[in-house]
Amino acid sequence: MSMSNNIKTSPSHTTNDLLYTSLSKNIKVIQNTLGHSNDIIIREITIGASDSHSIAVISIDGLSDKTTISNSVIDKLMANIEEEQNIEITTINQYIRNSYLTVGDVANIEHFTALFNAILNGETVILLDGFAEGIVTSTRSAKDRAVTEPSTESVIRGPRESFTETLRTNTALIRRKIKSPNLWIKTRVIGDVTQTDVAIMYINGIASDKVVAEVLARLDRINIDGILESGYIEDFIQDSKNSMFPTVYNSERPDVIAGELLDGKVAILVDGTPFVLVVPALFTSFLQSAEDYYQHWMISSLVRVLRFLGISLALVAPSLYVAITTFHQEMLPTAMLISIASQREGVPFPAVVEALIMEVAFEVLREAGLRMPRTIGPAVSIVGTLVIGQAAVDAGVVSAVMVIIVALTAICSFLFPAYGLSNTIRVLRFPLMILAAMFGLFGVMFGIMVIILHLCSIRSFGVPYLSPFAPLIIQDQKDAFLLFPRRKLLTRPRLVNQKNIVRGHNNKKIKSRK
Amino acid sequence: MAKVHAICLLCILTLVLSGCWSKRELNELAIVVALGIDKVDDEYEISLQIVDPSEISMRQATTQRAPVVSYHSKGETIFEAIRKMTTTAARKPYFAHLQVVVLGEDLAKEGISEALDLISRDHEFRKDFDVVMSHEATAKEVLNVLTPIEKVPANKMLNSLKVSERAWGTTIAVNIDELVTTLSNKDAGALISAIEIHGDKKLGADQTNVQRVKTPVLLQYAGLAVFKEDKFMGLLTEGESKSISFLKDKIQSTIEIIACPKKGTLSTEITQSTTKVKGSFEHGEPKIDVQIIVEQNVGEVECDIDLTKNKSIDYVNKKTAQGIEERIKKTLETIQQQYEVDVFGFGDALHRTDAKQWKKIKDDWISIFPDLTVDVHVKVTTQGLGTLQNSLLNNPKEE
Repeated sequence: MSMSNNIKTSPSHTTNDLLYTSLSKNIKVIQNTLGHSNDIIIREITIGASDSHSIAVISIDGLSDKTTISNSVIDKLMANIEEEQNIEITTINQYIRNSYLTVGDVANIEHFTALFNAILNGETVILLDGFAEGIVTSTRSAKDRAVTEPSTESVIRGPRESFTETLRTNTALIRRKIKSPNLWIKTRVIGDVTQTDVAIMYINGIASDKVVAEVLARLDRINIDGILESGYIEDFIQDSKNSMFPTVYNSERPDVIAGELLDGKVAILVDGTPFVLVVPALFTSFLQSAEDYYQHWMISSLVRVLRFLGISLALVAPSLYVAITTFHQEMLPTAMLISIASQREGVPFPAVVEALIMEVAFEVLREAGLRMPRTIGPAVSIVGTLVIGQAAVDAGVVSAVMVIIVALTAICSFLFPAYGLSNTIRVLRFPLMILAAMFGLFGVMFGIMVIILHLCSIRSFGVPYLSPFAPLIIQDQKDAFLLFPRRKLLTRPRLVNQKNIVRGHNNKKIKSRK
Repeated sequence: MAKVHAICLLCILTLVLSGCWSKRELNELAIVVALGIDKVDDEYEISLQIVDPSEISMRQATTQRAPVVSYHSKGETIFEAIRKMTTTAARKPYFAHLQVVVLGEDLAKEGISEALDLISRDHEFRKDFDVVMSHEATAKEVLNVLTPIEKVPANKMLNSLKVSERAWGTTIAVNIDELVTTLSNKDAGALISAIEIHGDKKLGADQTNVQRVKTPVLLQYAGLAVFKEDKFMGLLTEGESKSISFLKDKIQSTIEIIACPKKGTLSTEITQSTTKVKGSFEHGEPKIDVQIIVEQNVGEVECDIDLTKNKSIDYVNKKTAQGIEERIKKTLETIQQQYEVDVFGFGDALHRTDAKQWKKIKDDWISIFPDLTVDVHVKVTTQGLGTLQNSLLNNPKEE
């Protein structure tokens, strides 16, 4: 296992991996290895006064920039070298490299592995007949999507940019926000077949060295043929693999990632996806939106309280309904009991079956709405409103209160800024409903206790998931359940960050006072 | 491995087999809002007022069905009668939302302690419902009257009881816990509000009763019923009931009428009243001192009086105080001489002041109470005159 890892990350070349001196032999090997795929462009040209030197320019159509190749490589080679009559044949390769290629980045290679790596990444390799080495010129040009507005985390006030599928664009977006020499990037190539670039970013001196080392160690341990999205990485590196709660945070907003980096966290960027991972991730991060920090702290605090209320409702509203209406009718005010009872008259199912039907119907609708082609969308919503709406009530299949409960649950589950947690809550309310149906409020209470105990037990890269609530850290409450004014937010979260805890250079006093 | 499987199976089976144990779906319940207990020839007759939820609901158009249904059954004990009712009722009665218990007058005369045992012992009854007594009617008849506006008659009984306690002062809402506590105290007597039927008792159950502008059959609170030990002794008049509310510090607001210096009347609205009952012993002789501090507004002036003068206000204060004081004294006389039962908790007041002395007289309290000296002092202050100063009658005469 570890051997294959080695090959992947730092290729150990064997003797027959070396390039040959003969150009035709090299070309043959390349064509055989790549299976004569027709997007491989091998341009053979001859240069020099008497066309004495055969040269091959190798690139992959679509990955490399054709204009750069023709203007800065082929044009230069053909035009100039013809005039230079007196070049020593033995040094022509250096000559080409040093004096003729007008592209930014040039390197020498001697191995086939490196050659393939280069051309598959969109670079152009120049091979010369008579030399057992090649010249790599950087001509990468991936088809890149423009930086657009984020589609999953929208804000009213705040930056309008989001990450794209290109790793370089993404690192640049972060660098543009944090112009510090201490913003470091470490890269790894993961995936035996896909050879995906994965970069970790952190601020040296703020991020905990232990976490950085741990992230790198966990990334190195990944052994898989391909990485197509950061979800693959997330699954490999998270602490508790069987927990439904996400212990790795993700975002497609550069400002969110920059904020997390300033907290001392580590970002993991994966080529090919706009979703950037952040570790360690705490439960509270999933209930915080970027906009919280951009608007007045009182409003943000209220909104956060609302979100906590929302998460509780989304989790327990249906099970409370089931528990109270089937076991604890004495808890309802009389008028309400009579009203609910009148709606339940004639409903053929027990409350729990009613609740399950409606919740499943809603989940089906939601899933259908997500996966449908855009054009059929309206049809789904019309049918949906009929199924879990007035029609269902009029038909006497479900009670009106149940429709309200389902609607409330649905709206509350959309309240989370982070989609990952919302999924967890959606799933967890089903077992809670079953418990409620069997044991009433005792069952609901039992379920909630199990969930809370579980939350207390999990960690994300060594940081307790529920901190700063459990363990309770008083000074970190400033940015948890509520949000304090910015002038009070001068220390970084304590468990995430332990060495450089004070923000800003004039705030040293806070540190000494402690 | 087999062990793990066995344990898993055991856990799942424990959950599944014991689950849903005491489950009751809402449409399996008959929500009882009022319970009536009568005594008929050595047997209890139980009346239940059960809500028909679909008739109360706002959603569906009302049909011709009554909003509540009453069921009756007889039994040697109340518990037996209630269970026997399942043979007639459509669903099992559910008592947690009971609003009011009506005790029949005949039962009240014989003693209510036995009847109250079940409803204060059984776990399904919550202990927050109020107890009233039917006067000159059986509990069954009271529960068979449909009421307008409030579709559920039990709600109307409860609302009138609470509202008149707050704004008029002739009823006292007594819930089962308070009643049982008072009954268990041998030295004290209990008070329960009494409810009467006006009109033809037989027509009350008919839907036409709520379809007219003027309701033919009405339920009305008549005043307070005095209980000695657990037996009904007699009904107090409106004035006496109000005086008792004053003495028990239950007055939140009420109306007092006084005579004007010349002719005509003036009524005041009492906005606040605090009563302090203090017991004392003078040479071993128990004595009660009652201080009542009343705040009032002038409510209605139907006579010639210049309210802008301090003198007139003093007159109003003095007259009101006198009126309240005289009525209380009369009431005390009735209670002490006629009923000979301490419904005010004077015994407790004496106990609080001097436990040792109280112990000495405790056993003779019933014989001491009728001759107990009670001093009543009422102090009245007038706060406001309303939105007018002098009466409209007043002005033309001055010109």
